[in-house]
Amino acid sequence: MSSVQTSHQAVDVQGLWKIFNEGSNNEVTALSDINLSVKPGEFISLIGPSGCGKSTLLRVIGDLTGATRGEVFIAGETAPVAREKQLYGIAFQQAALFDWRTVRRNVELPLELQGLGKKERRERALELLELVQLSDFAEHRPWELSGGMQQRVAIARSLAVDPPLLLMDEPFGALDEMTRERMQNELLRICQETRKTIIFVTHSIPEAVYLSDRVIVMSPRPGRITHTVPIELGERNEDTRETDTFYAGVTAVREALRGRSASASPPRIEEL
Amino acid sequence: MSTQTAAQSRRTGRFSGIWPPILIAVLFLAAWQIFVVARDIQPYLLPAPSLIVTNFFTDLSLMWAAAFYTGTTAFLGLVLGTVLGLVMALLASRFIVVNHLVTPLAAGLAAVPIIALTPILNNMFNITSRTPRVLVTMIIVLFPMFVNVTRGLLQVKPVQLELMRSMNAHPRTTLKVLRIPNAIPFFFTGLKVAAPLAVIAALVAEYFGGPQEGLGSRIASAAANTAYGRAWAYVVASIITGLIFYLVVVAVEKWTTPWTGRTRST
Repeated sequence: MSSVQTSHQAVDVQGLWKIFNEGSNNEVTALSDINLSVKPGEFISLIGPSGCGKSTLLRVIGDLTGATRGEVFIAGETAPVAREKQLYGIAFQQAALFDWRTVRRNVELPLELQGLGKKERRERALELLELVQLSDFAEHRPWELSGGMQQRVAIARSLAVDPPLLLMDEPFGALDEMTRERMQNELLRICQETRKTIIFVTHSIPEAVYLSDRVIVMSPRPGRITHTVPIELGERNEDTRETDTFYAGVTAVREALRGRSASASPPRIEEL
Repeated sequence: MSTQTAAQSRRTGRFSGIWPPILIAVLFLAAWQIFVVARDIQPYLLPAPSLIVTNFFTDLSLMWAAAFYTGTTAFLGLVLGTVLGLVMALLASRFIVVNHLVTPLAAGLAAVPIIALTPILNNMFNITSRTPRVLVTMIIVLFPMFVNVTRGLLQVKPVQLELMRSMNAHPRTTLKVLRIPNAIPFFFTGLKVAAPLAVIAALVAEYFGGPQEGLGSRIASAAANTAYGRAWAYVVASIITGLIFYLVVVAVEKWTTPWTGRTRST
């Protein structure tokens, strides 16, 4: 990265454990000894079967739930402080828009909570709606929009306070394949324009490969990182999904996911 | 939006709209009239619709005054009960302790035959005033309002709460920005139940003595004087009053919350 002033990693996770109901009979180790560093501007995907803790990891990073052990830093700040300072935006599988607000006012919500003036809020929201190509729908209600459009509104909202980091929890999981691919291109374009760091949870292998600089493969019981697959696709375009490099990436991630049984031997984790 | 409703009515076809129920009502009244005339049924058993209508129009000015009196009682009780229900719901949603204290109480209140308290309230408060009736109405309104609004305040989607947390929102902000707007459709659901109920409560409370100018008193005295046509005419006026209360709520709901009744976004 060229940015000199960011001496910190965008995200730094050290020795993180998340144990639900610790000490009781139904104790569940959701995350065990997670170590992960994300460079500013990097696009990381977390992939793994259901129950591998990828969503939990995202939530711990966002301080939506606390860590049992270990530490999380976002741009050098601890997770709770980062949340207070609004150092990240988040988008979920459900768009989670408020029906009683127009599209524009949904995007304005984070700015409203920051106490920004009405005029500035409006300007910023319209700017973001332009970015996600929904300018024409600013005064519509969320339920008048398609699923893909609602998700674009949610992304615009997550970008509202211009945080350096975006956390995305299967944001395209509920969309059909065509919409999904279009949204992926859209997201990459938005990333390029805004220079955000992104942590993206998915269980689609092609999606992870297409979007990411690095795919983090996780496995369940207990949730842990088993492999890191670097992806070097360069500039993505229409043909990227049909290149050999893309297929090689897909194969590598698939094998890493399958390599679950082999992890009885110490998991080979690449130097991060 | 208008295209959507148009499409909807087109889909349901000719059996939708207001005409079918009106047709049914007309047929029903005609059958009733024919039955009463043909079988020579006495008015104390069942008066003919024509008799009720005649009485309705001869008594119209008195009826209007009676409806206004009972309507005012119902309205006052409705407002008081709603305000109290809202305050309780806010407290119950904010403080889990209050919720645990108040919810069983509210449920218990629902099981009390509140109308039966009227004679007691008549003794506690001035029987010649409207007060006992307003209080009875208030208690009856309280329960559906409290239950519905509490549900609306608490039933927010977990993902929406996570979103508020991610934005570092104070609970008070979450209440204002998320919980209260979320509860508005629930509020109207409660109000649609409570409003006609308020009219019924205000009316029935009049059966236990006190001022004689309301709909309930008129029904009772007409029946006592074997003026069955008139009694039924006042019943009709009571139905209309309750219906007006209901329709006003529906209109206010349509006007203030255009997003309800729509497919909710995920």
